[in-house]
Amino acid sequence: MKQNVYYDFTKEFFTINGCLIEERNAKHMKVQLTRQMDESLMNRPFYWHYMKKMNREGDPMSLSFKDISIGEEEEGIYLHAGTPKLQQIYQTALEKGYITRLYESINHPTHNLALHPWLILNMKITFRGKQSKDQILSIGLNLINGAITHNMMELLEHIKLIQKISDYTFPMTPMIKLESAYNRIIQHVEAYLTTLDTDWAEQSIQQFNYEKQLLQKFFHSDDIGEEQYQKELDQLAIRYKPRVTITIANGGLFYLSVHTSQNLLT
Amino acid sequence: MIDTRIDPAFFTQLTKQLEESDSLCSWDEFKLAWKGLNLQTIPEFDGLLSLTQLPHINFLEHQVDACEKVVHEMSGRAILADEVGLGKTLEAGLILKEYMIRGMAKKILILTPASLVNQWTQELSEKFYIQAASPRKKHADWKNWDITVTSIDMAKRENHKEEILSIDYDLIIIDEAHKLKNHQTKNYQFVQQLKKTYCLLLTATPIQNHLSDLFNLVSILKPGYLGDLSTFKKKYKNTHLGAADTQEHIHSLLSKLMIRNLRKDTGLDSSKRHVKNITLKFNKEEQEVYDELDAIKKDYPSFTWLTLTKELCSSREACYMSLQNMHKKQPSDLLKHLIDRLGELPHHTKAMKMAELIQQSDEKFIVFTEYRASQFYLQWYLQQNGISSVPFNGKFNKSKRDWMKQLFKTKAQVMIATEAGAEGINLQFCNNIINYDLPWNPMRLEQRIGRIHRFGQTKDVNVFNFAIENTMEDQIMKLLYEKIQLFQNAVGDLDAILEKIPGGNFETHVQKILQESESQGEIDIKMKNLVSYVEYNVKERRESS
Repeated sequence: MKQNVYYDFTKEFFTINGCLIEERNAKHMKVQLTRQMDESLMNRPFYWHYMKKMNREGDPMSLSFKDISIGEEEEGIYLHAGTPKLQQIYQTALEKGYITRLYESINHPTHNLALHPWLILNMKITFRGKQSKDQILSIGLNLINGAITHNMMELLEHIKLIQKISDYTFPMTPMIKLESAYNRIIQHVEAYLTTLDTDWAEQSIQQFNYEKQLLQKFFHSDDIGEEQYQKELDQLAIRYKPRVTITIANGGLFYLSVHTSQNLLT
Repeated sequence: MIDTRIDPAFFTQLTKQLEESDSLCSWDEFKLAWKGLNLQTIPEFDGLLSLTQLPHINFLEHQVDACEKVVHEMSGRAILADEVGLGKTLEAGLILKEYMIRGMAKKILILTPASLVNQWTQELSEKFYIQAASPRKKHADWKNWDITVTSIDMAKRENHKEEILSIDYDLIIIDEAHKLKNHQTKNYQFVQQLKKTYCLLLTATPIQNHLSDLFNLVSILKPGYLGDLSTFKKKYKNTHLGAADTQEHIHSLLSKLMIRNLRKDTGLDSSKRHVKNITLKFNKEEQEVYDELDAIKKDYPSFTWLTLTKELCSSREACYMSLQNMHKKQPSDLLKHLIDRLGELPHHTKAMKMAELIQQSDEKFIVFTEYRASQFYLQWYLQQNGISSVPFNGKFNKSKRDWMKQLFKTKAQVMIATEAGAEGINLQFCNNIINYDLPWNPMRLEQRIGRIHRFGQTKDVNVFNFAIENTMEDQIMKLLYEKIQLFQNAVGDLDAILEKIPGGNFETHVQKILQESESQGEIDIKMKNLVSYVEYNVKERRESS
């Protein structure tokens, strides 16, 4: 198993969000929350509402976390998949990192440098029927020439991106409108989905139909009422009906040098 | 063919936020969100993700298989019907965890008998790192609590019912589900009305009396799976439940929605039980007081005599407390006299034997008594003999329980528990148990032994049963325990047998016999009848399985 991924993620999360972290060892940390983090994570809206009304500072709480490999002796929340606190942290991270506009940072270019605009969408595709799984995609579309690339986040990982444009660089005006770029990416994803294996969906439908049939027979025997029947039918659909949900987790406009843009495509 | 949905919120938000530079995030924040998304992703349909998240528990093969089967083959609606002691709760917890990690269950309701609510919340927290809420007297927040543990009785109360029925639960777990066998009861109807996607029913005895019990259980999970009730009844009208082929047929019929592991198949019987019944003689003084208690029979109901003698078999202190109370309410010379006589008694025969037994060994012992007064006395007596001990009872709050358990594990040689302590603590590190006095219900004794004879017990378990000769206790031990040979086998279906005796369960029968009989001879005969009835049923079951 990957070591400490949840712990490392949590630490990074609080560091980026400006919280003071006190680490006793590499497996246990105490985090002094900022007011904003307290509001996002501690579920006490009334307290903060009251503090705002009274025009007072308020007193943000602190939280302790520990890696799953330490036992009971340390206080704190175990960091592992499925912890509600971690789910909340993911949620907050996604909310705070939802939409962006970034420019590639370039030091002292020899001449004026044009930056290509890209629309990047990161999405989670959930396949749910009898069973369930996800796939994540990171897709970018070049707004000048319409080129589409997968794995954008991986490709950009080590590129320095900043929120203010560097000197002697300038953003090019998109040739493709944002809306049509968005639609093109969605169409691309939908086309991609049709190339995937659909066994899972067929199996789910089979099971769905089989159980629906049993239920209908039962309904005709008068052992259950209309209302109960309808409810069971709805629940069957939730359990078996195959469906795909595309959720766009975050995205934004990225201005990348021609050099970088070309690297992305090869 | 496949319904595909795209969440539409993003694009509107994108155009809006690009206009307002303040609301845009940094590269670090953007990357962090992506990392979070990666960690949340479940890339495969198959497999169990929960296992890697719970490295501190050694799940057994049959438990892992059960979880895998329920989640991936049975689509989350199943009866977990392992025999007692094979870890149904662990299986349910693992399944719950798996659904939570996969993001398929968020809103969860667990219905258990009231006495097990605390144990469930505790186990979920300690073993699965799942924090569950349970409603207290006035406080219940069904809508906002994601994971709730409660009893059916609490949930179906007028002030809660409507709200609970309005919630779409992703997963509902019902412990001791055999109690829902009758579809005409309010509990059954309540459960059937619940809105649920996935559902687990836990019971060690899926078929108790009638096949229709099972039909009703299945109808909660998959209505129509066994056809309709009248056809089902007609079909199985003449089948004899005890017959082996019927059982087999039913089990195969249910193989797609029931998991039933048996002890003999799981190879968990490696740790054996050695039972030693120790019959002791009252010393002269004790015997005299015991005989003098006969005088009580004149002025008080026979039950009073029964209580007092039973207490005297445990300790002077237990008996003293009762007499003192009676005396306070209605002073009499007789009571005064008996109280004085008690005060003159030497140390209790049983207590001395107990200390002797413990002193001969370096191992840990758990001692069970039914009386608080005896508990105090024994603790003091052991201390006088240089033996360290800790008390335990069901009224302790969680932190005190944990503390006592910890002390017992690390420091003290003995734990003295009252009956209330029989549920909810697991003490596999100890392998000796002394039943200082005996409960009238053999299942309670089973629960006591179950504290140490369970998963994780590596040594053989020694059970010592104390009884005083020529007393009610002696009789109970001879009749119930020696005859039915309860101890030799971990009880598989005995609880079912004891529950289904015509005219009330086992315990009420014993009490009735003791209360209503006019002579010792009558008690003997009635008890023997009762025991042979149970014996007969046990034999029949064994032969047919």
